[in-house]
This record gives sequence, C-alpha cells and structure tokens, in this order.
Amino acid sequence: MNQSTAIEIRDLVKIYRGSEKAAVNHLSLMIPCGEIYGFLGPNGAGKSSTLNILCGLRRQTSGTILIEGRDFREYSREIRQKIGIVPQDIALYPTLTAYENLLLFGGVYGLRRKELDKRIREQLHTFGLTSSKNKQIQYFSGGMKRRINLIAGILHHPCILFLDEPTVGIDVQSKRVILDTLKELNARGTTMVYTSHSMDEAQEICTSLAMIDEGTVIETGSPASLLEKHSECRNLEEIYLKLTGKRLRD
Amino acid sequence: MTYKLIRLIHKDLLSLIRDRAGLLMLFLMPLTLVLIMTNIQDNTFNVVRESRIPALLLNLDQDSLGCAIERELYRSQTFDLHQSLDETPLTPQTLEAAVARGEYLLGIIIPQGATHAIRKNVARYINGVFSGAPVNKEPDSVNIRVFLDPTTKSSFRRALAGAMHEYSMQLEADFLFKEITREVNKISPIPIDNIELSRSQVKITEQYAALDQDKLLPNSVQHNIPAWGIFSIFFIVVSLSGNLLKEREDGCMSRLMVMPCPFALYITSKVVVYTVLCLTLSCLMLLMGFWIFPLTGLPALMMGHSISGMLLMFLTASLAAIGYGVAIATFSTSYQQTTIFAPMSVVILAAIGGIWIPAFTMPPLMQHLTTLSPMNWGLEGLYDIFVRDGNFFSVLPEALSLTLFAILCFGVSAVYHHHKKNT
Repeated sequence: MNQSTAIEIRDLVKIYRGSEKAAVNHLSLMIPCGEIYGFLGPNGAGKSSTLNILCGLRRQTSGTILIEGRDFREYSREIRQKIGIVPQDIALYPTLTAYENLLLFGGVYGLRRKELDKRIREQLHTFGLTSSKNKQIQYFSGGMKRRINLIAGILHHPCILFLDEPTVGIDVQSKRVILDTLKELNARGTTMVYTSHSMDEAQEICTSLAMIDEGTVIETGSPASLLEKHSECRNLEEIYLKLTGKRLRD
Repeated sequence: MTYKLIRLIHKDLLSLIRDRAGLLMLFLMPLTLVLIMTNIQDNTFNVVRESRIPALLLNLDQDSLGCAIERELYRSQTFDLHQSLDETPLTPQTLEAAVARGEYLLGIIIPQGATHAIRKNVARYINGVFSGAPVNKEPDSVNIRVFLDPTTKSSFRRALAGAMHEYSMQLEADFLFKEITREVNKISPIPIDNIELSRSQVKITEQYAALDQDKLLPNSVQHNIPAWGIFSIFFIVVSLSGNLLKEREDGCMSRLMVMPCPFALYITSKVVVYTVLCLTLSCLMLLMGFWIFPLTGLPALMMGHSISGMLLMFLTASLAAIGYGVAIATFSTSYQQTTIFAPMSVVILAAIGGIWIPAFTMPPLMQHLTTLSPMNWGLEGLYDIFVRDGNFFSVLPEALSLTLFAILCFGVSAVYHHHKKNT
C-alpha cells in the first residue's frame, strides 16, 4: 500500500452560526493513500460536517485540510477535479434519464463525449443498468438510484472518493454490487473516505477507521487492531457502543 | 469551460422541456391573460364609444325643451332609449326602481314645466334688459334628474355624467337663443332671425404625441402587448426559482458545487436557457398581436420602427427577471416558500408597475412606488417603442436600469451563496 498521505486534517473546527457547540472539535487525522477510511459515529457526531468540509461544500471555522499535500483553500479547482463524492441523498435529476444524468456529471468533470460515453456504458454494464439507460431516474427503484448515484461519483476516476452512507436503504443485491465495486476501485488505487452506521459493512470494507463523537476522534485504527485492542468486544459494534455509550443522540 | 456550460445548458433545457405542465402554464397563462385583458379593455372602451347604453326616459315636460332633449338623445345614437316598461307608462318611481335593479344603466326624468320655467327666465331677463328694471339673479332652475345604476364603475359614471352635461349645455344654449329671439321679436319693431352660433367656436384637435413622424395608433393592443409581454417575461421567475430550489433540495446543486463547477457557470447556464425562453415568449406575444388578435376582432399590433430597441428591452427585461428569480431562490429556505413568494411578488410588482392599470391613474404615493418596479422600467421602455415610436437610444435609460437590477440580483445571490458556505 502506498503510504504517502492522501488527506491530512489539522486541528479542524467547525462551529455553525447560531450554535455554541462545535460540530467538529479540533479534529486531526491523517489518511494514507490507498485506504478505505471509515468514519463511524452516532448521529450528530460530526461525520457529515467533516465530510462536507473535506469535499469543499462547507468552509471550516479554523484548521487546515491538505489533499495530497495541498491546501484545499488555495488549490480548490485542482483538488475538486481529483475528488469524487457520493452523497447520502440521491443527488440526481429525476426527469433526466440515467444516461443524461451521467453525461452531465461526467461532462462537468471535463470528460469528452467519446470517452465519457465509453465509461458510462462500462459502468452501466457493471451495475446491471444497461437496459435502463434511457429511463428517467424518477421511475427507478431505490437500489437503482443508489447505483447511478455511485456511478456519477466515480465516472472521472477520482483519486479520492468521499462516500456518505452509500448503501443506506437498499436491497442486498444492490448493496453487494456497490461494495464489490468499491473494493475493486480501491484495489486500483482510489483512496476512500466512507461514513456509515453499518458496523458489519465497515468491518468488511474499511482498512482503517476513525470513531468520532462530539466532533472529535475518540479511536482510530484498522478493524483488526481495534478488535485486538478491545479484546473484550466481539465485534466493531460492541467497541462502538463501549466508546460512544448507549445514550440516544439527536 | 464552454464544454461544461454546454452540458449544464443541456441539462437545464431537458429539465425545462420535460416539465410539460409547468411549461404549458408558463406559455398559456400570459398568452391567455393578454387575449382576455385586451378584449376586456377594448370592449370597455367600445361600450362608451360605440355601444348603445340602455336608458329610460320620462318626459314629463312634453313641451319644447322636453321634446328637444328627447330628440337629441335619440339622435345621439349613444342611448337605447325606452319610454315605457313592458308597455306600462313610466312613473318616477318605476323608472328609479328599474335602474336600481340594474335593468337599465341610466334613467332620465325631465320635470313637468321645464320649458315654461326656462321661458319665464328668458322673458324676465329680456324685459329687465329692455325696461331697465333689475334682473332677478336667481332664475328658476330646471332640475333634470339622472338615475344611474349603482353598480356602474365610477370612471364610466364620470364619462356618462360628462356626456350628459355636454348634451344639456348644448340644448340649453340652443333653447335659450331661440327663446331670446322669440322674446326680442315680441318687443322689437324690427324682427330678428334666430340667433345661430356655430356649435364649435373653439376646436380641440386630439393627436397622440410621437417621437417620430410615422404615427403609431395607440389602442388596447398597442398598450397590452408590451404590458403582458413584460408580465410573461417576469412570470418565468416562478419556474426558475422553483427549479433552483428543487435542485438545492434534491442535493443536485450541492453535488455540482463540489465538482469543478463554479457557481457563476451554474447560473450562466440558467441565464442562457431562461433568456431563450423569455425571448420565445416575447416572440409569441408579438405573433399573437399580429395574427391572433385580428381574428378576435381586435386591431392588429403595429410594430414600432426600432427592432433593435425592442430586442434590447426584451433582452434586458429577461436578464432582470432571471436575476430576480435567482435571488428569490438563493434567499428562500424552502420550496414551499418560493412557490408562494415568487408568483405573489410578480403579481405585486406587476400591479405596482402599471401592468394591470396605468400608472397615471394611481394615487400620488403609488405613482412614486411605480418607479421602483423593474416591470415598470420594462413597460416604459416598450411603450417608447410601441406607442411613442422611440428608437434604440430612447430606451437606453430603461435598459440600463434593468441591467443594473439584474447585476445587483446576481451579485447579491453570489455573495450570499459564498457566505452560506461559511455558516
């Protein structure tokens, strides 16, 4: 595994306007290249806020983010070209067909028509959506939409891929093809930052994890090293509950 | 960047075309409104000008004055006069009741002894003049009562009262001259002919002011096509702001914003697509004026002599409308908020801007507010072309105001969008 740093987060703070509490509280992390790095934490822990700042959707209150050694604020345009995002919501145009949606998102990354067309065909084939290519997204099932949502984020072959609960609310088959594709992409060198509430899924695909609560990192390591460290726990879920408690979160 | 813009335009165009119901509303509503409103306004104008007003006449005088009034009312072709109700002779009470019920717009009662009273006044005046005796300064007045349907609008009532007053003045003058001649002949050893004065000593020539020598004829079509053209352009605000909000709520906008897609590029795509839409709407309005209106009995639209000025106005009004739509979407916090605020604000701006009723008929405060509405700037510019026959340069102030408004809206939206990232 390439051990150069893909993402470096230094003392990141995010306080939303009108809120006294920091959503992200002096969070520091280093994510090496080629990792599938999982952010685990209860609701309101600061995972999505961190992810939004990492992909440039929100601006931090303080702290620094370096993507492949470059400050996001200074090299925003170049960095945006290298990263991909798969949002939690189905961020697709419902009245456009699958093909038209992918043509748009691939096109905005600057992929020319011929190459883009080739990649769209490949991905639609991989995700079993070739026959639905010309169907409008609004007529797709939840699983089909999730798959298109993922394809839109990976068409341009990003170096770093941010995934916000990419498998939430879908059937087992769709989930399987998504996870297998993510593993394949990772094997080809794509670094991934991934949030999920599914501990099983995280244990299966993540090479490293950060457990986040109250906007700060409370534990890091690979799934194996965490299980070794917390030997009294049988799985990640038990470690997670041990560290974050059973108190319900908003 | 151009390639990205093409992809975004393609997306916006497809989204717009596939929302068939929305698109239909966008085209049908202004086109239907312009047809209905122009017909209504043209008809209201014709009611006074051409149609006969149903009226009741009760002539209790039955002498010279009463008969002269009756004869003149029939001759005027303005009134559809009736002197009985269901073949029952009229009384003052039945006349008033029939007008109050709305069966007739007007009821006229010429009082008994009207001729006699006038004659007495004239005789008293003539005798006084020739005998040197003091003339009674308070002559017996003749009170012709006119009843009006209470539902008639005040503007129509005023027009009617004015017309009646004009008739009565004319009749009174004619009658007085005849009576003076008659009285003078009674006492004068040398008989004189009827005093005849030309009815129109002072002539008033009406002519519309124009900036060019080739006169355009202002009529309801020349007034309504620019007004509703501007309305249709601003009506796209509803579709545009709704579309932007939907993209924001679906997460599509956020997705594009994390991609190498600057906000300016994203908005430019909207500007291109919606400008095409606005210009298409404007063309349809013009075509409607040329070909559809004459089919419904309305006069055909007459173009001004400055196509470039007209294009400039349509283009800058489109930019202002798009800027306004973008600003509404940027500041709205929910789709529902936008769908309520956008159409409401367009209707209010149209009302303030003189689209529904002309600005000069508004109270002074509202006339000041009119100048605040960008729709009024657009309307004034188009009036310069369609009614005042102005040219490219005469619409520059309005075009500049609309452009500045658009720049302000886009600027404020961009600053707020940037600011939201930091919150």
